Amino acid sequence: MEDKSLVWFENRNEYLVLENTTADILKRLSKGVSVHNIAGALSKKLDVPLEKTIDFILDLEHNFFNKEKPNHNKLINDYRDVEYPKKFEFIKYYQINNKIVKVSYLSEKELSFVHPKFNHLSIENTVSFDYQFDVFINTNYIFLYVDNDFIGAWSNKEIHYFQGKFSMQLIQKIHQKEEDKWMGVFHASAVSNEKKSILFLGDSGNGKSTSLALLQANGFTCLADDFVPIDLEKQEVYSFPAAISIKKSSLETLLPIYPELQTTAEYNFTRLNKIVRYLEPNNNNFFAHKPCNELIFIKYEKDSELICKKISKVDAFQELIPDSWLSPLKENAEVFLNWFASLTCYKLTYSVNSEMIATVNKIFNNEL
Amino acid sequence: MKKQINTNEISRKDALKKIGNYGKYAALTALGTYLILNPKNAQAQSPEAPGTGF
Repeated sequence: MEDKSLVWFENRNEYLVLENTTADILKRLSKGVSVHNIAGALSKKLDVPLEKTIDFILDLEHNFFNKEKPNHNKLINDYRDVEYPKKFEFIKYYQINNKIVKVSYLSEKELSFVHPKFNHLSIENTVSFDYQFDVFINTNYIFLYVDNDFIGAWSNKEIHYFQGKFSMQLIQKIHQKEEDKWMGVFHASAVSNEKKSILFLGDSGNGKSTSLALLQANGFTCLADDFVPIDLEKQEVYSFPAAISIKKSSLETLLPIYPELQTTAEYNFTRLNKIVRYLEPNNNNFFAHKPCNELIFIKYEKDSELICKKISKVDAFQELIPDSWLSPLKENAEVFLNWFASLTCYKLTYSVNSEMIATVNKIFNNEL
Repeated sequence: MKKQINTNEISRKDALKKIGNYGKYAALTALGTYLILNPKNAQAQSPEAPGTGF
């Protein structure tokens, strides 16, 4: 891609961007060609002494093939001694399509980590349900059980991983696909029209969610916010039913369109010095899934004129990978690399909402 | 004070020319320049948990 090679290492689920010649050398090393042979060819090609290329290739071999799997020194804990709560203070039922999920929260604390995002799906008490999620804190860890199976436990510094796993379990149930049937989950916003979807990426505070809220008020559908799953089979963006988080700084822009934000609950995240409100997604078909051919790195910048241009995919790749969960399975990684190669990537900077919406419209209609 | 303006800026091409025979080592160095990218080990939401943890 663009004069570079993208290489994936299975044992570490690691992606590399390197020169084509270097990729070729790694390929030969992995096939068992001797260092001496490769060094000889390289020495001739670059017209440098053989001992230099031998050193170089030994170095590559050491860095990529002799590297141990990273050892995180994680304590192994089977949580056998954990006492399962006898009573949960909050029981909520969420309806997603034709499925009802019962979630039991030990206390308000656990409730606060999950419920605000899914409040709009709550239904009154019901007798029957399809899946049961239990969430409780015990000795500084937050536990998640799904249908009585232990899923995981996370410390208070890993709440976002707990929330991620909760969401992952939810999409597995909604869309009836186990974890190995997903290509990845992206930290993005996904918007769709009738036919396809576009992912909006960018650092926190760049305006992903605000743009999504603006677009869903202008004829587009919100497929997913913050947690965008793409499946393995067709590489389509699947609907994720969580609400859109709206920061206080976006309120002024959005209140004229969504007056309900004035009265909806405000959640105060003191630790992050951030207040967030949630906006219901306009999607009412949570089965929806759409193909995706474009990524847009979006940035709201006060007083900026509208700039929309294609960007280097190697650059886009560098931004995308560290922020994404990508399946560590070989087949899935291959599908991901092929999918990425087929994409077009844009960078869109704006300050006038209507111009941004018009540009996104053009991208959807291939008019740019 | 007078600002010093650096007029010694040269292009990569000129630089390679200047180092002459050593330029070929620059090619080797370029081959050893790469980027390692690690995706997240697990699915995550944006970190915005309410309160001060638990």
